[in-house]
Amino acid sequence: MKRSSALALLFALVLLLATACGGGGSKNNSGGDANGGSEATAQSGGGSNASAGNAAEDKPAEKPQNADLRMSWWGSEERHEKTLKAIELFELKNPGVKITGEYSGFDGYMDKLNTQIAAGNAPDLIQLGGNIKEYVDKGALLDLSPYVGSILNLDDFNGGLVKSATFDGKLYGVTLGVSSSAILYNASMFERAGVPLPSPDWNYDDFKSIVTQISEKLGKGYYGSYDLSSDAATFGSFLGAHGKELYRDGERHFEREDAIQWFTMWDELRKAGVIVPPDMQVANPPSAVDKSLILQGKVAIQSAAASQIYGYQELTQDLLGLTVYPNGPAGSGMIPPISGQYMTVSANTEHPEVAVSFINFMVNDLEGGVILGNSRGVPPAGKIRDALAAQSTPVDKVLYDYISLVSDVAPPVEYQQFPLDNEFTKLLQLTSEKIAFGAASIDAAVDEFMNEVDKLLEKARAQ
Amino acid sequence: MRKRQMYAAGYLFLSPWLIGFVLLYLGPIAASLYLSFTRYDLLTPPDWIGLANYRQMFTDDFRLGDSVRVTFRYVLLSVPIRLAFALGLALLLNQGMRLLGLYRTIYYIPSLLGGSVAISILWRQVFDKTGLFNRMLALVGIEGPNWIADPKYAIFSLVGLSVWQFGAVMIIFLAGLKQMPQELYEAATVDGAGAIRKFASITLPLLTPVIFFNLTLSLIGAFQTFTKAFIISGGTGGPINSTLLYSLYLYIKGFNFLEMGYAAAMAWLLLVIVAVMTGLLFLSSRYWVFYADGGSRK
Repeated sequence: MKRSSALALLFALVLLLATACGGGGSKNNSGGDANGGSEATAQSGGGSNASAGNAAEDKPAEKPQNADLRMSWWGSEERHEKTLKAIELFELKNPGVKITGEYSGFDGYMDKLNTQIAAGNAPDLIQLGGNIKEYVDKGALLDLSPYVGSILNLDDFNGGLVKSATFDGKLYGVTLGVSSSAILYNASMFERAGVPLPSPDWNYDDFKSIVTQISEKLGKGYYGSYDLSSDAATFGSFLGAHGKELYRDGERHFEREDAIQWFTMWDELRKAGVIVPPDMQVANPPSAVDKSLILQGKVAIQSAAASQIYGYQELTQDLLGLTVYPNGPAGSGMIPPISGQYMTVSANTEHPEVAVSFINFMVNDLEGGVILGNSRGVPPAGKIRDALAAQSTPVDKVLYDYISLVSDVAPPVEYQQFPLDNEFTKLLQLTSEKIAFGAASIDAAVDEFMNEVDKLLEKARAQ
Repeated sequence: MRKRQMYAAGYLFLSPWLIGFVLLYLGPIAASLYLSFTRYDLLTPPDWIGLANYRQMFTDDFRLGDSVRVTFRYVLLSVPIRLAFALGLALLLNQGMRLLGLYRTIYYIPSLLGGSVAISILWRQVFDKTGLFNRMLALVGIEGPNWIADPKYAIFSLVGLSVWQFGAVMIIFLAGLKQMPQELYEAATVDGAGAIRKFASITLPLLTPVIFFNLTLSLIGAFQTFTKAFIISGGTGGPINSTLLYSLYLYIKGFNFLEMGYAAAMAWLLLVIVAVMTGLLFLSSRYWVFYADGGSRK
């Protein structure tokens, strides 16, 4: 028997060795619907109907010679179209410049970017979200401060927006749009159920009774809300409304009891059958625009980034609206509107001036700004907001009203993002699912949750 | 002199493979061994931390425990079912039916497609709450669960997809069946043996080397399954880690959480696990694998 089995053994060994370097090799950019979580703040749907046609405003930018740049961003189909259009216009105005877009949905975007940066093949222009600091710390981004005032004009920017991308006195990113997390609701469902729309000063008791009423009035198969116990933005706001915070200065600022209270509240709603049951939620996650049950008029409330309303509204006849998260004993837990995402420049770019002048074009050029519209949130420059206001749609109005509402009610605290946001989001979802599917008691699941949160913070400190 | 030239020519002809092997396999394997002793986030240079990654794997990572359990469950379910299914169909196709070539091709198609992203997405749709599969169940009055979104059942949708890719295994079985010495069957027929008896006493024993071969390859492949779990769970391994196959967790750790050093250490643990499993299989083979020719010829 020896010979053939020895050959087979050899063959098996070669296959085995392939295991050691295989495993995580394949890359798939398409795919499902990883939850957005607080990361969703950085996502957005699409823009309003924008058409060029305002007075052209020629930038006195240096005449760039031949320059080939790459730019990467994530977003919806509509954002891709608008961004590509803006690039086209910029190329027209700057002969010799070519910008190639590398765009996709949010799933897998960071994975791909990390790989590119590690391989020394980073795009020249990189769209980043709240995780910008990670890339600053790793030396991947170009300091933009030297260009401010010359190529890059930030006069029209609110100081907080500049500060949020400034680290150690250096500017690393430019805000493309202002957004905020929000309760996204289906107003038509409220009407069908005969329930009044939530007012901005509602609290968690109001939330529970609204959710219960909608579900009971509309009957089987209809739910008042998605199960938001897995939503990091809602959880953060809940903590704020109870005088706590998710995170500040390297520490967590909430206790085990707060988490118990949070998961218990959702467990009661779940047991009452008025929020989406767990298997349905996994199959139709609210973060996936094409699957969200809010569009089918089956669920009245979910959490989303405010600017996502464009993408959602486009896919339904029902009327959608935005409001703040419920208040608690300590008032509103909202955080002031923040930068939805930043445009940054790779530290290794060969054409820093061209890259920076394109960023300037995105945020200051009237034509460019109007083409891009609100697809990345409310534009930070006032003159572009004014230009857009002249042609605003009802959805624009909902978004603008909401952003100013948040500015009014949010307590003036400086927001700090949980450092390993991606991992935290996954942990919160795991905990929520364990309880929802009955795989663990609330007590046990929360014990594990607190333990893991502390481990994440420890890991963040070690980095 | 001529001899040396001949050696040189030999290595020259070997060089495409040698270069590929060194650059694409040996290099990365060595690098992954080194990285497994470091903390490496892809963007900053690796940091030597000794055995810390390995220590963490065994003492402080409940997700790893989950994923090992899920992976073993997946392997132990999918490999035997796929083999049995493939063998059954190979026996059927071996009955000397007409249009054999056509059937063989049709049955092989899933194996070509099955690893693809598109099929995984299709699979999601079929096993959805209101998907094709549940509608078929509804015809006979059964209300099916949400196969993919329920942690109790999610693993079965992965197993099902794996079993569906039985083609390659089936072709090898078929080749094995074609080589069966007909005189044994004739002798058995003369002795009055029925179909079941012939299968149990002739076909199965003579086929054990082929079964062994298929078993080994399927086992190694199953331990490394990635695409199905990634697409069907939307890259999360959820719900509640119920589809968190080992390779998927390794990917999440490496590319999502940027713990490349840890991911490299996980790859080496997987190598050890698969090596041990394969080793056990080889040890057991002497008790059940039967080489008709005594193994003296190839």
